Amino acid sequence: MLIINCPYCGPRDQSEFSNGGEAHVKRPDGSKEIGDREWGEYVFIRANPKGLFYERWVHTHGCRKWFNCVRDTSTDEILVTYKLDEKKPNLNNFKSVVKTPSGEPEVGSGNFTVEK
Amino acid sequence: MKSINLKDNQFIQFHQKISFKFDGVKYFGYKGDTIASALLRNNINLVGRSFKYHRPRGIYTCGIEEPNALVQIISEYSEPNTRATIKKIYEGIEIESQNRWPSLENDFGIINNLFSPIFTAGFYYKTFMGPHKKFWKNLYEPLIRRAAGLGKPPKDFKGISNHIHHNVDVTIIGGGLNGLLAAKSFINSNYDVLLIDFEEQLGGIINNSNKISLIDNKEPKDWLKETIQEIEESKNVKILKNTLVTTYNYINHLIAIEDRFVGYKPIEGKVNSTLHKIRTGHTILCNGHIERFLSFQNNDLPGIMLSSSFEKYMCRYGLAPSKEPVIFSNNSNSNSLVYSLIKVGLKPKAYIDSRSGEEIEPNLFDLIRKNDVPLYTNSQIKGAFGNKKIEKILVEDSSGALNEIKCDCLCLSGGINPDVHLFTQSKGLLDWDEKDLTYKPSKPFQPTITLGSASGQFNFDNLNSDVNEKLKTFKVKKLDVKLELNTNTKYNIEKLWEVSPQKKSLWAKSFIDLQNDVTTKDIRQAITEGFDRIEHLKRYTTNSMGTDQGKISSINALGIVSDLLDKKVNEVGTTIYRPPYAPLSFSAIAGRNCYEFYDPERKSPIHSWHLKNGAIFEDVGQWKRPWYFQINKDETMHEAVQRESINVRENAGILDGSTLGKIEIKGEDALEFMNLIYTNSFTKMKQGSARYALMLGEDGMVKDDGIICKISDQHFIATTTTGGAATVLGCMEEYAQTEWPNLKVFMNSITEQYATFNISGPKTREIMKKAFPNINFSNEEFPFMTFQFHEFNGIPIRILRASFTGELGYEIYIPSNSAPKIWDNIQSVGKEFGLASYGTEAMHLLRAEKGYIIVGQDTDGSITPIDLGLSWMIGKSKKDFLGKRSLTRSDTIREDRKQLVGIIPSNKADKLEEGQHIILDKEIKSPVPMLGHITSCYYSSTLGHDFALAVIKNGHSMIGTKAYASTSSMSTTGVDIVKPVFYDEDNKRLVS
Repeated sequence: MLIINCPYCGPRDQSEFSNGGEAHVKRPDGSKEIGDREWGEYVFIRANPKGLFYERWVHTHGCRKWFNCVRDTSTDEILVTYKLDEKKPNLNNFKSVVKTPSGEPEVGSGNFTVEK
Repeated sequence: MKSINLKDNQFIQFHQKISFKFDGVKYFGYKGDTIASALLRNNINLVGRSFKYHRPRGIYTCGIEEPNALVQIISEYSEPNTRATIKKIYEGIEIESQNRWPSLENDFGIINNLFSPIFTAGFYYKTFMGPHKKFWKNLYEPLIRRAAGLGKPPKDFKGISNHIHHNVDVTIIGGGLNGLLAAKSFINSNYDVLLIDFEEQLGGIINNSNKISLIDNKEPKDWLKETIQEIEESKNVKILKNTLVTTYNYINHLIAIEDRFVGYKPIEGKVNSTLHKIRTGHTILCNGHIERFLSFQNNDLPGIMLSSSFEKYMCRYGLAPSKEPVIFSNNSNSNSLVYSLIKVGLKPKAYIDSRSGEEIEPNLFDLIRKNDVPLYTNSQIKGAFGNKKIEKILVEDSSGALNEIKCDCLCLSGGINPDVHLFTQSKGLLDWDEKDLTYKPSKPFQPTITLGSASGQFNFDNLNSDVNEKLKTFKVKKLDVKLELNTNTKYNIEKLWEVSPQKKSLWAKSFIDLQNDVTTKDIRQAITEGFDRIEHLKRYTTNSMGTDQGKISSINALGIVSDLLDKKVNEVGTTIYRPPYAPLSFSAIAGRNCYEFYDPERKSPIHSWHLKNGAIFEDVGQWKRPWYFQINKDETMHEAVQRESINVRENAGILDGSTLGKIEIKGEDALEFMNLIYTNSFTKMKQGSARYALMLGEDGMVKDDGIICKISDQHFIATTTTGGAATVLGCMEEYAQTEWPNLKVFMNSITEQYATFNISGPKTREIMKKAFPNINFSNEEFPFMTFQFHEFNGIPIRILRASFTGELGYEIYIPSNSAPKIWDNIQSVGKEFGLASYGTEAMHLLRAEKGYIIVGQDTDGSITPIDLGLSWMIGKSKKDFLGKRSLTRSDTIREDRKQLVGIIPSNKADKLEEGQHIILDKEIKSPVPMLGHITSCYYSSTLGHDFALAVIKNGHSMIGTKAYASTSSMSTTGVDIVKPVFYDEDNKRLVS
């Protein structure tokens, strides 16, 4: 189980939080003309990378505040959490551990490194 | 197998006899015995039948790794699959063997052994395919389930478990030599330390073997006593005994189970296990090693056990399972067994080693020579033979000659493995050690430290430097412990995984997984059939998929596979050990979250009245809602529902609607916010009026509905469906924070603060007048879809004129604490007008007659407001609201979308069924094009026949046509497609 550092309450058990999917997905402005494709991508399309990922979480059983984080989806490590109005951190500031050809990190992915 | 007691033992209380029953027969053991040691003391070694072939099986080990000796504890709610090698006996414990019929000695299922040549890997997948799908469910599966398996599930669920949370700096797992040394160095440091051991006595290898002769020039047991005392007296190290760490999760989160009744019968009603949830800064794994076995013909016969287990029975349980066991080894770990036997005046019947004479340790050589033990070097056991117990073995010596040795016990050692289960659970990496022939922990993923044999250090040479080096970062005391050993050797092993049988036979079996009855032949077959990746091979053969996870055998399987594929073992890889390390019971995991605490039960303030008045309840989310009220015991549900609904249509009914979600929305920008959340426009709405509103997802599909009351532009109260309250509030909060943070708006759940009564029916106005005499309920003063605040006997109430039944109706909102009083008052004044309570089922019937939808029943997340015929609810002039843009997507403007319609049977006497398909043809001939399905269906006394709501393709334009509804008896019923309104289409009654 993860420990998530709520920017408002501090580190808490994962069971207090809910995941809200990809962060920094902008909702198209409803007062303007929106194309089918643009709207469809907003509603249905989300990134699913192996490695570093901007993600939204909400402290459901706590302060009920939404916040953002950077999580490494291959190791589950949450590298930073920040408030919604804070600037999103540059991913180059973090080291991605994805190294092997298949995109598995050497340690922590549950897969053993097997010579290909 | 004749065992003898070794009475010079500190752990077994030989003065305290304990009686126990095994398969109905009474035996005696001693205080401190496990089931296994007590059975061995009584010379019983046949304890169960195997999973697939029903072969006789005995006690193979002396610990948690046991694959065979699983028993059912009759005296503890018939707890199945208990490891006999762990469970301590107590006075009166009743034990039964498993998977045998009619008895353990004469088991009918042994016939499987006769047919075993066809029961090979993949047998089920290949065999039980035909002739018809039904054969699997009705014949094969029941038969296989009967024949295969372990214990029987317990009937009752009585175990109680508590959950305890720990938050510590360091957790040491394993209280053996290294665990104690680590704990010792942390004494009086600034770290909070938890030391966890599975056994009642700390000490591990010190208690279990004779390997160590002196520690710091003291007898090992004296050193142990002093060290434990030192740790116990320290302020910062806490010891958890009888506690097994089963799970090592991410971020050093450990789960451990503590048995609170070791050696005692659990007391009913008392907590019998504690589940420890541990969050720790660092984890130090000192959980030692596990000995592995060897494969040869009939290596599963009762009487065969691991050599370190034999030694553990001697040292830990004061019991030599046999007076003259034969020892078969390929490594130096079994040396100490020879030493232990000779020390108590016994000696091995023969010592067989696959290694050559030069490889064998000189001091073992001397010991064997001095005591005239027959020695076979460069030799292998080709097979073991006997009827339900080992009687003789066949040894191929260095010259290739075969020797038959009669024996009653054979001790095996195939080498040792670090117990890496927890390390791999933590996602650390393993490395194959070609010299020690085992996987060892290499790179940890989390702050994990491994010490001693758990780290692959099988020698004691570097004990101090290893501990000191690895604990360096903690800056704790440095150790300087002097060890002296009885068998002063370095770990040495020669590669040997399997000995092929002397005679080739279809029935010759060399097991590789004892618990799942997997033979080395199965491994070969799987590889031949192409399952050569280790994860595939595991699943195809079920190797190491038993409850023991192949603790004594999985590495052997890798060795055999690597030889067959001519690859190195590290190229073959390993399968992944998954939690839990050993089975833990559901009751332990559930803890106190069971029965009424499993999921919170929510009850309305009127609940006790419902109980007294014959309510039958229905679960709606977490809420208990009256489904219908039984006026007498003979009244059926159908009768009750029809009676309640007719009464609403003719007189008046009252429904407890307190479970409806209620959300209060306040703030400067509340109006703008509400306009964005709901499809409707609230801008032109008058203060004090109410509106039925829809909430969509961004995909344009209906997510929830409710009535919005506008108190002012800055203050709204919204109701939601009973089940959707939390989701709606969550959605509002999400958009307020993430999309429109500029809006000044706040929202709060007031569901539980207010009770809601829905009164409706033609006589409602009379009742309301009488119940609230100071309020004017006339149409002019109190029109439909308006609300008013009042005070009644000092209680603030809000009355909303709205209806979910199609009759004149009012909803009363009352602070929960005062609700029962007002409920009782309405009930008593309503009596003369025929007021009666109705439940959710009658409510469903009444609303369906009016064509009012229930979100989640008539919609399923793929229905837009337009599909429901509710386009009038969409605020088209609004620039934006949730899901607005989706309503004009190419998919949502399709004409053949499923749309809401009404259905009545063409022949009024016919019945309709919820969930059935609407089709165009009378004959069901596949393929049958499906138009849609019936979402709600009831019998209406008012109409005098069945009617239904349905969603069907292009439904709106099909109104007025005929179709067919399928039935559960595979026939069809002719139906008319009609408008989804069956009663009072002009809403005359609603606004009367």
